[in-house]
Amino acid sequence: MSTSKRIIGTLAIPVIAIVIMEILCLGHGQHIIANSKSFDNFVVYTAIVMITTIALSINLNSGRFDFSLGSMAALSAVIGAKITYALLQGGTGSAPLMLLLTVLAGIILGLISGGLYVILRIPPIITSLGVALIYEGILYTITSGKYVMAEVQNASLSKFVGTWVYAAIVIVVVLAFVIIVFDHTRFGFEYNALRNGQKVAVNTGIEEVGNAVICYAICGGLMGLVGFFNAARNTNINGGLLNFGSIAIMFTAFLPMFIGSYIGRFCNEKIGFLLAAITMSALNSTFAVFSNEVTASVQSIINAVLLVAFLIYLNNEKLLVKILSPKNK
Amino acid sequence: MGAKKYEGKKLSKHSVGQFLISALPFFALVVLFIVFCVVVQAKGYRLDRYLEIVFDEGVVLAVVATGAIFIYTLGTFDISLGASTLFSATMGVMVYNATENFLLMILVIFASGIMCSLFNSVLASVFHIPAFVTTVAMMSVLSAIAGQIITTNGGALGGISIPSAIVKPLDVPSVKIILLAVFFLLCLFVFNYTKVGRRQKFIGGNPLCATLTGIKYNKYAIIAFVMAGLGVGLGALLTLIYTPSVTTTTASSIGMNIFIAIVFGGMPISGGARSRIYAALVGGFSYMLLNDVLELVIDSSAAYGLTQVISAVFFLAVVYITGMNYRTKMLPR
Repeated sequence: MSTSKRIIGTLAIPVIAIVIMEILCLGHGQHIIANSKSFDNFVVYTAIVMITTIALSINLNSGRFDFSLGSMAALSAVIGAKITYALLQGGTGSAPLMLLLTVLAGIILGLISGGLYVILRIPPIITSLGVALIYEGILYTITSGKYVMAEVQNASLSKFVGTWVYAAIVIVVVLAFVIIVFDHTRFGFEYNALRNGQKVAVNTGIEEVGNAVICYAICGGLMGLVGFFNAARNTNINGGLLNFGSIAIMFTAFLPMFIGSYIGRFCNEKIGFLLAAITMSALNSTFAVFSNEVTASVQSIINAVLLVAFLIYLNNEKLLVKILSPKNK
Repeated sequence: MGAKKYEGKKLSKHSVGQFLISALPFFALVVLFIVFCVVVQAKGYRLDRYLEIVFDEGVVLAVVATGAIFIYTLGTFDISLGASTLFSATMGVMVYNATENFLLMILVIFASGIMCSLFNSVLASVFHIPAFVTTVAMMSVLSAIAGQIITTNGGALGGISIPSAIVKPLDVPSVKIILLAVFFLLCLFVFNYTKVGRRQKFIGGNPLCATLTGIKYNKYAIIAFVMAGLGVGLGALLTLIYTPSVTTTTASSIGMNIFIAIVFGGMPISGGARSRIYAALVGGFSYMLLNDVLELVIDSSAAYGLTQVISAVFFLAVVYITGMNYRTKMLPR
């Protein structure tokens, strides 16, 4: 594929989408990003969407459906927030300490989830259902089903999400980490081999169990990051997420995952996830501009319709090209 | 001769093991039922009243999940069924309040359930979108539409409702048992005694092989979704009979609880030949009994959390035991 085709393919969706959204916003007398505050929000939201999408794709691309991602984010954030508050009482340094502890808690939760999967050897979708219920139950028990607020309402955390700089650093670090780990290490090569041909990969001697557990640990760590950002951004953590109340977080990453995978045909898939997250963040900012006209329900419907429309295109691409090609006209 | 005898012994041992494992869901249901009765009696509560509560909670899940078995048998799943139930119930209430026609309400409830399901199947079959993704999208759409209708017409907390006098005569165990039995027997017949069920199991077990033998996937997918739609309609009607008001959280957990009910009932989530039509019925009531037993035993502010943890551990243990004979060298996907 030529370089120009790669560049056009990579940038087409985000650029076209952002141009359309900007025109819509201009019609409303505003811009997608109106001021520096909305730019900060834009970057923080991009980080949240990108990291969730990467975490979702790591296991889903390997045929492992993981319903426990949302519960991992919420539980790791509560663990990180509670320990940090016990140590610093919301004082200076709360944000970096909570970030570290939340990611660590996420990694441990991911390891437990992966460990259960490889020990029990039951389908990952079922393991993740059980794990989601367990983590939600623990979350509810720790918080008595209430919102965690005092622990996440402090100047340090507000400062962390009050500027785009830290979110941008996290985006760069996460991207560099996943690109190196999944594309330039032995673990990554084995992951890709298992993803594309499990039986052949296992028969050639690739150690599937270890690879799967590491994938779960990475997902856990990433969801810890998401939990941290969500807690800092919302200034609370909902401790009453029972009966799969936590899985909604996973569904928000479906559309960017498919868009990212499509963009990934022209560049590195992880860059595709970043560009998809930027597109989703722009859509979110557009919704904010139209907040008086577009309710939360309508936003959900628009997101779902976009997902279905994109998938119809993706799954019928060859047919559409055939129908629209000049020969058929 | 000796080798033959040894083989025979080994085989019979294996089939005894298989039988025990397949009987485990029934055994678990009986044990949970006994434990539930003992706990309620020990606490000094009215057993008949508590049994009625469990039945009312379990019957909606059992009905919707029994219809869903047809979809799961194909090796796919639908997590929008809870939202479809909410949407159907909402449509029913709106139509009743506009027309005051109870029969029309029932008709609309079933039509909505089937239409939601059919829409999913069209997206999956005609546009070749993975069913789990279409159902994720549909879940958002249906919840959002129902939520919008409910909040506009009655408020998110209070919800919308029909006069309780309309459904009161139906709010008795005998009516619900009859409705459940009729629907279950219909599903049992289609699943076990027609080529529809057999072919759906074939598709679920090996879709490529099924296609090569001339079985049309789309046709059986549409039938599966229609059966699930019937279950959704009946579930929505039973929900309204139990509580004549609909809020944004009505039936919200059904979509995911179906997974648990089906697996608890001893059916693999991957579908295929080991699919069992009774799985949802047995699993649905087992899950409700387990939850209620734990909530009665753990009597503290954190009871809901602990109950969920123990239920989940029990769930994983049951799945682990029932799947013991099907371990492979590779990790399952």
